[in-house]
Amino acid sequence: MATLAEPGLDHNDGPKRPNIARAGLQLPAVKDYAQVDREIIATLRPTKAWFTLLMASITCLGIGAASWIYQIYSGLGVAGYSPPVMWGVYIITFVFWIGIGHAGTLISAILYLFRAGFRTTIYRCAEAMTVFAVMTAGLFPIIHIGRPWKFFWLIPYPNWRLLWPNFKSPLVWDVFAISTYLTISVTFLFIGLLPDIATLRDAEKNPIKKQMLSLLSFGWRNSENEWRHFARAYLFLAAFSTPLVLSVHSVVSFDFSMALVPGWHTTIFAPYFVAGAIFSGMGMVYTIIIPIRKFFKLEHYVTLNVMDAGAKLTLFTSMVVGCAYIVEFFIAWYGGVKVEQEYFYNRVFGQWWYAAWIMLTCNMILPLSLFSQKLRRNPTWLFILSLFINIGMWFERFVIIVPGLSHEFEPWQWSGYRPTWVDFGILLGSFGWFFMWFLLFIKQLPVIAIAEVKEIVPPRTRKSAAHVHAGGH
Amino acid sequence: MAQGMLGVFLEIDSACESIAALRKQNVGKITVFTPTPRHEFDHALQPPKSPVRIYTLVGALSGATFGYWVSIWGSNYWPIIVGGKAISTWIPYTIFAFELMVLIGGLSTVAGLFIHSRVPRLTMTVGYDPRFSGSHYGVWVECLPERLKEAETILRQAGAEEVRGEQ
Repeated sequence: MATLAEPGLDHNDGPKRPNIARAGLQLPAVKDYAQVDREIIATLRPTKAWFTLLMASITCLGIGAASWIYQIYSGLGVAGYSPPVMWGVYIITFVFWIGIGHAGTLISAILYLFRAGFRTTIYRCAEAMTVFAVMTAGLFPIIHIGRPWKFFWLIPYPNWRLLWPNFKSPLVWDVFAISTYLTISVTFLFIGLLPDIATLRDAEKNPIKKQMLSLLSFGWRNSENEWRHFARAYLFLAAFSTPLVLSVHSVVSFDFSMALVPGWHTTIFAPYFVAGAIFSGMGMVYTIIIPIRKFFKLEHYVTLNVMDAGAKLTLFTSMVVGCAYIVEFFIAWYGGVKVEQEYFYNRVFGQWWYAAWIMLTCNMILPLSLFSQKLRRNPTWLFILSLFINIGMWFERFVIIVPGLSHEFEPWQWSGYRPTWVDFGILLGSFGWFFMWFLLFIKQLPVIAIAEVKEIVPPRTRKSAAHVHAGGH
Repeated sequence: MAQGMLGVFLEIDSACESIAALRKQNVGKITVFTPTPRHEFDHALQPPKSPVRIYTLVGALSGATFGYWVSIWGSNYWPIIVGGKAISTWIPYTIFAFELMVLIGGLSTVAGLFIHSRVPRLTMTVGYDPRFSGSHYGVWVECLPERLKEAETILRQAGAEEVRGEQ
């Protein structure tokens, strides 16, 4: 699929110039298919650390659920909304999680089409992250409406409630875009998992588990005929997902840019949001993959070359996002619209200065460290940086949403916004919800794609077997 | 009922060699099992192009058409009248066309994959071994009873680790 093996190369994991992770350089310590099966299936055994993390996630989820129940009981007023700022933490967090989801599809689909070999060992993790991030994001419009039992009012179908579907509304576009994105992401993840579930099925000794895996694998047999159709279907799904990933966050950006609010009504929003989404997603990929790599002892799969290549992508998207920030300021100055100019001044030097500077520091300044090859190959630094990126990208959405609403055209519309403990409780709960699903996933299904890793491992031939028998390596 | 001979191989070149010999002798219908897609088997078997692309095309075109139709029909049936603006307008409706093109095109692709791969499959049928998802390759030859011996000889000569008849 993605890459072809280059047997016979002198493999090593040292820095390369030019530093591009090629197929033949990817997995120098992985020798044969049996090793791949053994090591990746071994990650499925539950450990104490995993259980502790799962409990911590469920606790966070419990805090979020309790906060939500309190909000339902008391009304949306406890969430810190005060006119005119009626979009707050929930919409910020909705956009944040949608953005997180984008790196998954980028890594699994776009990098697949570009034949970027470094994706092979991280794409499964990123795809699962996408699905769970979109599932998390999907909760927020429901939380935001205040009366969640009426969530079906969001779905644009003809009805007798005098709510006519408005197909020109960006909110309706959003429903279609995100539903499609979730469906295609789940499909893409599941199709990629089929051969690996078959591997687990065949390796399983417990008859009940084997039966369950047999059902889940749909009777996949690894026949050449199945692989032929699989490869074609996977290619087309990747081809569909590529424009889809660009469209979804563009549509999310239209929720803002279609509105006549200072700072929102701008044509740069679609590419700006897409780049920001990929950047934030890369941040979350590192937040997840670096501990997995360490605790599951998968350093020889997620190699430093893989980290390095991903870091370059992070650096690139950081610079695109940084460029968008600068262009926004430039247009506000060059356009000569006083309201816009005041809005941007207020954003950076006025009441929202702290949010803007957190955003600029985390998203523009700190990622510049990735120009250093040494830091790109330092997992500890990448992990710390990824946390800053997550924080920075949450604040980016804060900076987009809140200052715009709190500083509209007329001074009587100027206001503040102070999130409450309910907002933060639900925000924490969203992380609990996301990590709970992710942690359950990584102990049920392989976090690295077994079949695709085998594809880049040189197959055993008579010549290589003779070499091994003769005492070679 | 299918009857044939199964060869289990550890080396890919041995498996390819057996396929070439079986095809040359036209022993029977060959099915290859491999833990991961390998271009070596494509060269050995020379299979036709996958028809999945037709499902993708038909699904995508249907989805795009449905996307335009549902939004235009919905707008005309429940019109929201704003002075100076058309009730239906194709530019924003391209978003629905695109999203449904991707959705239905993607799901049709999966349907094509399932139909042509014959999955979901309730039984594993004959000629499968759990090692084929691990590190072994399998060559299953479905043939007439009188040619089973010939198939066995070819598989053994190619270097199969194990050869067994199944039905």
